[in-house]
Amino acid sequence: MGSSIPIGLLFSRSGLYWALGQQGFYGALAAIETVNASGEYPFELVPHDADPEGNTDRYAGLCRDMIKRTGLRHVVGCTTSWSRKEVIPVVEKADALLWYPCVYEGFEASENVVYIAASPNQHLLPLLDYVVPRFGRNAFLTGSNYIWGWEMNRIAREVLHHSGGRVLGERNVPIGDVEIHHIVAEIKAKKPDFILNNLIGPSSHAFLKAYHELGLADPAFAAGVRPVLSCNLYEGEAALLGPSIAGHYTVSCYFQSLSGEANRAFLQQVAGKQGTHPVTAFFVEAYASVMLIANAIRQAGTDDIAEVLAAAKTHPFSTPFGESIVDARTNHVLMPAHIGRARADGDFDVVFEAGGAIEPDPFLTRSRLGIPGAEAMSPAKAPHLRVVQ
Amino acid sequence: MNDMRPTPSFVGWRALVVHQPHPNVDALLTQFERIGVAASHYWPEITDLPELDRFNVVLIDADMGYDDQFPWKPGGAPIPVIALIGSEAPGRVSWAMRQGADAQMLKPIGSAGLYSALVAASHGFERRQAMTSEIAALRARLESRELLAEATAILMVRDNISAKAAFQKLRLTAMAERMTLETMAARLVETISDMREAL
Repeated sequence: MGSSIPIGLLFSRSGLYWALGQQGFYGALAAIETVNASGEYPFELVPHDADPEGNTDRYAGLCRDMIKRTGLRHVVGCTTSWSRKEVIPVVEKADALLWYPCVYEGFEASENVVYIAASPNQHLLPLLDYVVPRFGRNAFLTGSNYIWGWEMNRIAREVLHHSGGRVLGERNVPIGDVEIHHIVAEIKAKKPDFILNNLIGPSSHAFLKAYHELGLADPAFAAGVRPVLSCNLYEGEAALLGPSIAGHYTVSCYFQSLSGEANRAFLQQVAGKQGTHPVTAFFVEAYASVMLIANAIRQAGTDDIAEVLAAAKTHPFSTPFGESIVDARTNHVLMPAHIGRARADGDFDVVFEAGGAIEPDPFLTRSRLGIPGAEAMSPAKAPHLRVVQ
Repeated sequence: MNDMRPTPSFVGWRALVVHQPHPNVDALLTQFERIGVAASHYWPEITDLPELDRFNVVLIDADMGYDDQFPWKPGGAPIPVIALIGSEAPGRVSWAMRQGADAQMLKPIGSAGLYSALVAASHGFERRQAMTSEIAALRARLESRELLAEATAILMVRDNISAKAAFQKLRLTAMAERMTLETMAARLVETISDMREAL
């Protein structure tokens, strides 16, 4: 093992989703600095980065070049599922590992990918578990025309079906579409107990703002009455949205506002580094990916991918989202699911702090798809079950 | 060996790949060339594509595809369908199934897999077509059950013969007139009702 080990960083820091890519990039970079400064590792990590600029077609080529040029074995990167699908054939062929640090829709498990990423049993299911007993089981589903929205809405439909709930409507719009007033009008007419928001980027922002307007005009659509649920909306985007997101719910393995000494120490450690205003799950997952790589290489005594993977699957590691390990069957990590309620200042009140991590189940073969007790809930009584935090 | 099957050949076939430009499409076009199939690709909607009926097989994209792309209803493609699957999310796989995919190929597409997909798709499509027409024929026969019973009863009363003899007579007349039993029965029932009306 050489004294310097190259690590690839493949994030889109420009283009359509530059903000998310940048959080991942800086999270990985912060961890590389932490490892190199600690004196606890018998090697130095050397970052090699490439920016695909949000263009799906550029990921495979840039990844291949990076591996050819430096001989690196470990790449941290990708945000969207399409870009991950583009990189998988490259890492499989080149005998490298992609460490994917982003929440996604599941139904994948490549031997050459480590998923530092929640799949639906670690985000959507716990979020519905929390919200349905408090607000009711009749939902309105929205999404962008993309695999994330399609699959999340399909799973939600299945969960609600098993819980005696109903889907009062589902509307999907093209990515980037901000003409979403028809969705708000339909929600006004149908009065769902909650809205599942799988829109992304500008569509999501336009929807949340328009729904906020509706809530101001008609208190029956205030966030405290019929909330909007998101599984991928974190501090950075929330801050841009301001008061229009206040009171709505998000699920995440990490919130900047988590209580506890471990989070306080982590925030102090990364304070002042780039990409930490605010610190989001995207930052933390990329940070954890690099820490995991470093610990597994130290354990294995090599950066050979088979041995690193074996070490990552047998040695628990400490992350900003708690103690974790790579699941031997699925290559996904164990993760907690905390529920956050947005505040007007863009931060989140953690209304449910998970006690432990949830085992990954990317193909939903072992997860319960109904919400306990929801079948017995009478629709008329449902709103009275709400718990005031 | 009595289960010998002829070697499938697709020479002279024309294939349509409905997928946006991508290395996967390039890999498919290369494979098509080796097999002797002229292939072209198109994206996204083929509803206005001229000479669509000249294609022998269509390849659809399970990842980005949607119902309105095609000039037929889901499941109603008039040629074999092969689904190109990238994401194995159940929603996308079931969309491909709803389109009536007779075979599938997993992305990324490499240097193999197309030939066996073509064999499977053409077999599956033939079987599906044969079953559809057989079901239609059986359904038609089922629907004419009542007609046959009525025609037999008419002959029994008119000629004072047994049910067996009446049915035999109907069959022989149909053969003599070179028409199906059902058509013969329909004609007989019609004649009788016309006579009743005339009275």
